[in-house]
Amino acid sequence: MTELTNLQAGQKAVIVAIEGDRRYLSRITSIGLNIDCKLEMIQNVKARPLLVYGRDTMIALDRSESANIMVEVCS
Amino acid sequence: MKHPIKLALLGQPNSGKSTIFNTLTGSHQHVGNWPGKTVERKEGRFSHNKKDYLIVDLPGSYSLSANSDEEIITRDYIADGNADLVLILADGSQLERSLYMLADYVGITTPAMLVVTMIDVATDQGKTIDLERLSTNLNMPVAGIVATDKKTYGSFFKILEKALTDKHPVDDTDLYQIYKSGSQSDRFQEAMNMVSQGHKGFSREWLAGKLIEQDEAVIDLIDQKVDDEQVAEYLIGPITGALYTSECKFKWISAKLDGVVTKTKEPSKLLTKFDRLAISRRWGKPLAIFIIVIGIAMSFVIAGPIMMLAGVLPKVLNPLIDNFVASGMSVGVGMFLQGTIVNAIYWTVAMLGFVFGVTIVFGFLEEVGYMARVSYAFDGSMAKIGLQGKSIMPLLVSLGCTIGGAAGTRVIDSWGQRLLTIALAWAVPCAATFAVIPTLATAFFGWAGILVMILLFVIALIHIRITARVFGRKLAPLEERHGLIMELPPYHKPRWGMLIRQTLNKIWGIFKKAFFVILVISVIFYFLAYSPSGGVEGSILYKIGTAIEPVTRIFGMGWQTFISFISSMVSKEAVLGVLSAIFSGTGNIFDSTVGTAAASADLGTILVSSISKAEALAFMIAVTFNIPCLMAVTSTYQESHSLKWTMRIALYYFATALVLSALTYHVANIFI
Repeated sequence: MTELTNLQAGQKAVIVAIEGDRRYLSRITSIGLNIDCKLEMIQNVKARPLLVYGRDTMIALDRSESANIMVEVCS
Repeated sequence: MKHPIKLALLGQPNSGKSTIFNTLTGSHQHVGNWPGKTVERKEGRFSHNKKDYLIVDLPGSYSLSANSDEEIITRDYIADGNADLVLILADGSQLERSLYMLADYVGITTPAMLVVTMIDVATDQGKTIDLERLSTNLNMPVAGIVATDKKTYGSFFKILEKALTDKHPVDDTDLYQIYKSGSQSDRFQEAMNMVSQGHKGFSREWLAGKLIEQDEAVIDLIDQKVDDEQVAEYLIGPITGALYTSECKFKWISAKLDGVVTKTKEPSKLLTKFDRLAISRRWGKPLAIFIIVIGIAMSFVIAGPIMMLAGVLPKVLNPLIDNFVASGMSVGVGMFLQGTIVNAIYWTVAMLGFVFGVTIVFGFLEEVGYMARVSYAFDGSMAKIGLQGKSIMPLLVSLGCTIGGAAGTRVIDSWGQRLLTIALAWAVPCAATFAVIPTLATAFFGWAGILVMILLFVIALIHIRITARVFGRKLAPLEERHGLIMELPPYHKPRWGMLIRQTLNKIWGIFKKAFFVILVISVIFYFLAYSPSGGVEGSILYKIGTAIEPVTRIFGMGWQTFISFISSMVSKEAVLGVLSAIFSGTGNIFDSTVGTAAASADLGTILVSSISKAEALAFMIAVTFNIPCLMAVTSTYQESHSLKWTMRIALYYFATALVLSALTYHVANIFI
């Protein structure tokens, strides 16, 4: 298990836990990222939001908030 | 007239909501604000089969949680029974994710139908959607449309009419079965016990579901009915409620999508070459700036013919009025008409040229999906001042023209952020500043005039930061600022016809409003500047200016520079002409301001001998950061449709320009 922010571009993973306050949980799940959701890291570079692809959608995520998302890397 | 049938449009951002709204209503739209809120309210009318419809475009949001004003307004509007039928939109190219809105709606008793959009994009991606099967699975009416293709609206209307006859609430049995059998079923049951009954359009189950999510508005509602302690005790429990409900909702969606979507081919590469560049760490920002600059140039190209037409209008209209004068109308009335009505028409049409160009070009960039990439690239820099990354575009456009900047904010989806961006765009020195300031700066400071220009940009940057704080408190409150969670939509093919139609629809409305405002201010200014003798001394402006000179001196300006400062609010380009009129008597203030009198050739020499360097510097800064021009005010009003906020911003700029002027004057007096 690792933080989403540690995922390298091209790696695929499954979300296993999301922390954070009520608002954050509500916002992140309503865009479609919840537990068991599969995703692929598209781009992870310093000083830019993360770019992931999940549920047929490219989604940009704030870098610091994304430390709340824990994933299991798929082999 | 009979009461119209009331529809409400509900959908996530990028679900094609505004396209459907515009296609259905055409030019019959009314845009305002929700009472007391900084959220835009759009409603429109249309007729079909001899029936009248009123449709409200509910603010875009990803769910119905009480996380923002947009979401609270949306769900209260529905629950209060304002709509006969809610049209819930889902993007066919990302059906699973965008059905979340429907899943969050389940449990609300207002009848609804589902509209699947972007079917053409789904087809491009190799997906086929079985709408009949989806309708059977969901046990509710489902229509599919390609938002821009009117032909697909035929079946949509049939299904709509049937839905209005049946008036079924969405079937909620399956979803609540999942709630009752999952890992937090006990918490759901506990919440059900506390809720005990539904409220307005919210069913008991819906409220219980939101209580698990610890939805603040629902907590307040339950608090009124149930013992506070019981609720407080419940809320101590795990805050992972939203994770549980989302898990249930996606399970439900997954079950409902069974056999609905068939993939005929694998999606092509996730990132195109262009997209790699657009999101690249090194090239993303330069590319965005490059495309925006090209966009500004294109806007000018589009605006060109319209502005030329505007330029022809006075040449046609003024001789007409001269003819009337020749056949007996008084000379004064003729000049008044030429200076006010003809000039207001000229300015309004010229302004429309800009607005048209910018709206088309940047509307296109938004439509194809590129602006979301700009938002991604500039998120870090813009978030510092409370804005989304897209706001960089209107700020850059404002280097050309503030009117264009204001029109460009249309691509920003939040009203508060849109208005905040406009408020900051006013501080960006526009092309007129570059036309006026170098002349004055060189006259007073020679080669060091370039330093004045640098100073202006330094002040502009500081101004933007401070102004962002001043207006940000209300327009982008800290507690509503979150980290970015945003979809980057797939690139769409441009829909030119639609884009041009939408823009043209707006033009006539803008013309009427802008013309009226410009005319009224022109008339007021005409009388203030009117002088029976023809010289400056006879005008009311002169009398006021000289009377309050002791006060304006505090701000570093004598009566002459102060009057020029005042007229720069109407038109910045005119400042040289006005100075000329005042100092060398080459015309009157009004004619100079509306641009019919040229500046005197030796203006520089006259000015240098008449005012001090400190006053000149203070004046240049005051003019640069004053209200940009009358048309910028008008277009701010047009985009914000809030007179209150437009006046607030205008007063703020007027006052801060005076403060800046005073500071500059007194500091400069120490050094030069």
